[in-house]
Amino acid sequence: MALKEIYTEYQRPILGLASVAGLLLAWELVLTYLIPVNPFFFTKPSLIATAFREQVLGGRLSHDLIISSRAFLWGFSCAIAVGIPVGVLMGWRRRAEYTLDPFLTALYASPLIALAPLIIVVFGVGLVAKSVLVFLLAVFPFIFNAFAGVRSTDRLLINVVRSFGGKERDLYFKVILPSTLPYLIAGSRIALGRGLVGVIVGEFFAASEGIGFAIARFGDTYQLPEMFAGISVLMIIAVVVTEGMRKLEAVLAPWRVGQEAR
Amino acid sequence: MRDRNLSLRVQSCPRKSGACNFSKTCYLRDMTPYIQAQNVALTFRPKNRDPVTALQGLDLEVGKGEFLSLVGPSGCGKSTFLNVLLGLLKPDGGDIRLDGKKITGPGQERAMVFQEFGLLPWRTVLANVELGLELKGVPASMRHQRSSELIKLVGLNGFEHHYPHELSGGMKQRVGLARALATDPDVLLMDEPFAALDAQTRDLMQLELLQIWDRAKKTVLFVTHSIEEAAYLSDRVIVLTARPGRTKSVIKINLPRPRDYEMRLTADFNDIKATIWNTLKEELIARTGYGA
Amino acid sequence: MTRLVQIYTEREHQILGGGFILLLIIAWESVPHLVTLPRALSLFFTTPSKVSETFYELVVQNEFQTHFYVSAVEFLLGLGLAILAGLPLGLIMGRSSVVDAMFDPYVTALNATPRIVFLPLLILWLGLGIWSKVMIVFIGALFPLLINTYEGVKNVDRVLVNVVRSFGANEWQVMKMVVLPNSLPYVVAGLRLAIGRAILGVVVGEFYGATKGLGSMMAKAASAFQVDVVFVGAAIFMGISLIFTLTVKRIEANLSRWRPDVVKTF
Repeated sequence: MALKEIYTEYQRPILGLASVAGLLLAWELVLTYLIPVNPFFFTKPSLIATAFREQVLGGRLSHDLIISSRAFLWGFSCAIAVGIPVGVLMGWRRRAEYTLDPFLTALYASPLIALAPLIIVVFGVGLVAKSVLVFLLAVFPFIFNAFAGVRSTDRLLINVVRSFGGKERDLYFKVILPSTLPYLIAGSRIALGRGLVGVIVGEFFAASEGIGFAIARFGDTYQLPEMFAGISVLMIIAVVVTEGMRKLEAVLAPWRVGQEAR
Repeated sequence: MRDRNLSLRVQSCPRKSGACNFSKTCYLRDMTPYIQAQNVALTFRPKNRDPVTALQGLDLEVGKGEFLSLVGPSGCGKSTFLNVLLGLLKPDGGDIRLDGKKITGPGQERAMVFQEFGLLPWRTVLANVELGLELKGVPASMRHQRSSELIKLVGLNGFEHHYPHELSGGMKQRVGLARALATDPDVLLMDEPFAALDAQTRDLMQLELLQIWDRAKKTVLFVTHSIEEAAYLSDRVIVLTARPGRTKSVIKINLPRPRDYEMRLTADFNDIKATIWNTLKEELIARTGYGA
Repeated sequence: MTRLVQIYTEREHQILGGGFILLLIIAWESVPHLVTLPRALSLFFTTPSKVSETFYELVVQNEFQTHFYVSAVEFLLGLGLAILAGLPLGLIMGRSSVVDAMFDPYVTALNATPRIVFLPLLILWLGLGIWSKVMIVFIGALFPLLINTYEGVKNVDRVLVNVVRSFGANEWQVMKMVVLPNSLPYVVAGLRLAIGRAILGVVVGEFYGATKGLGSMMAKAASAFQVDVVFVGAAIFMGISLIFTLTVKRIEANLSRWRPDVVKTF
């Protein structure tokens, strides 16, 4: 029977969709017909949807997103610009690795967010503070993954290129870079997630605009549907970006990198 | 098929099943089949892909204490059949019996030596060999003793507390063999056990296997791609057709036992190999276009 | 002389690494002595020695103990709950494809989203007390544990399951002999990640909305420009994070004796 075939083929997405749809439906129905909702405490999907439409139509949402993205992109680009060269240096020269590794590992293992109040105090409220936070959080995955990528380059391949008369430049472009790419993509995925945290945290404390700030403000003013709408938007963006990176990774790097599962 | 002269060391049975009455001296004439497979069929239905019929109408008989090899083109279902015998796969059709009783699942009288070794990487060699005994409920001291004996038997004395990743391929396979022998099964199923080993280790292991088999008198079903290996080790070689697998021909190996390496260098041995090869070749050409 | 060279070559890693950190600390310490800072900057600047002094003073005062205790409770409670929920759920999701398919959207969405966005909501629901922080820690720590357990269960080698089954093992024995030992390294790696996330949760949670706890202490100090106090708090969080992470890494290494070496990535 055709229906059964469809089910077995697409079982995963069907069940997933059903699960989410079921939850939303139950949520809406319970709060509409069973329990009266205290608007200061909870809300339901229909109200969230309305708030979301209003935000989009009012242009508020896009404005906030643009502000947040700006800070994110600044911090992220700096993270790439600093992280990859440092990582490559560490991977290429043992001495550099020995010198920098303990320091960087210690930093990576520490909650750098703990310095957020300080950063805000020093850099004030606004774009710079947020970008610095994003940079601090996003730079480490780039460093370590670039390092791992360079390290994992097959010595044999380097010898092969050398034996055909390749110079240092050739080695970089023909062997090291392609071989490092999968690691860098995976690192980007992790850095993206961490950078996102940086923006949100920055906006909670040090901003007057942006999506993180909006969510916090909605919370303060008990505008629950709007807050939920904001959270949902962020969730969707986060998922799209992360899963997109994953697909990219699958195309460019068939094997999984790292123990940080997902 | 070359069977014009009875003095040849090889005879091909005109009948598909194992009991050939071709020659008065054939020791299988009075064979009571120990393992009987009739009309076995199995189709794999993987998700999102077309179904694959691995076995169709397979008839096979194995005598008690016999060393039987299965050869055939790649993908013909040899390993699948072994898994069916082991009880891990259920056939879609047909009847399989061991000593008259139907096979419905794994059982202690059958044990397999896997091609990919299948050692639990977090267990030491000793703990790996003990696996079957552990599941049987044998108390620890008895397990240790038996496992140690077997480890000595396969020549891994001193490696009891090593981890699999510290061993070479040949050593790992020996652990697999020891593990299979530990529960003292009647039937040993071997799925290309020496395929991943280098040529020298392979020769060594074949010799050891023959010695162990000779002493332990087990029934062995041996799957391999190597005609030479099949001819050297077995009492009979069954050639399967290309997928879906079915018995194509049964070839009896009349070489004396115990067999030694020098036998492989004789002309008779070459004849045997040629006979097997000619049968196999037909399947390879017909189904896979090889040599066409 | 050759003796020194010998020691150096043997321990080059530690010497260079430790030396670098030492250098940074010394440089940091000496900055105010070498350069006169512009007025604005000197307000925010502090040195390691001052930070240590402040640390000592704070410990002597009782208030510090309370803050530390509160943060510790939030951390441990949240992490504990995450372990209790994450491991079984990861196991079930790994073994049952139906459960996996049903929960996957939530896990993906919640894992990709910075858990921090739920902070205002949690404060709204649970107030400024411990529980909003415990919840943020819980959400943060849950996913590495859940996902890694799931991966550990899912990635079990089919051949090994078949091997054990062929010797007559039932489902429970397959679990015990193959699935669980195989998953253990994954779970411990997940724990390592979870600890980092948990500490982050405590820090940000307390920054955002709390009256007690090290984070709130830091936030208050920051607005009062007591930079030393902020550094003390940061240092303590970093120190604890390091200790826990290194301990778990040690345990990981011990448990992974049976694994061939894998490239260290993040």
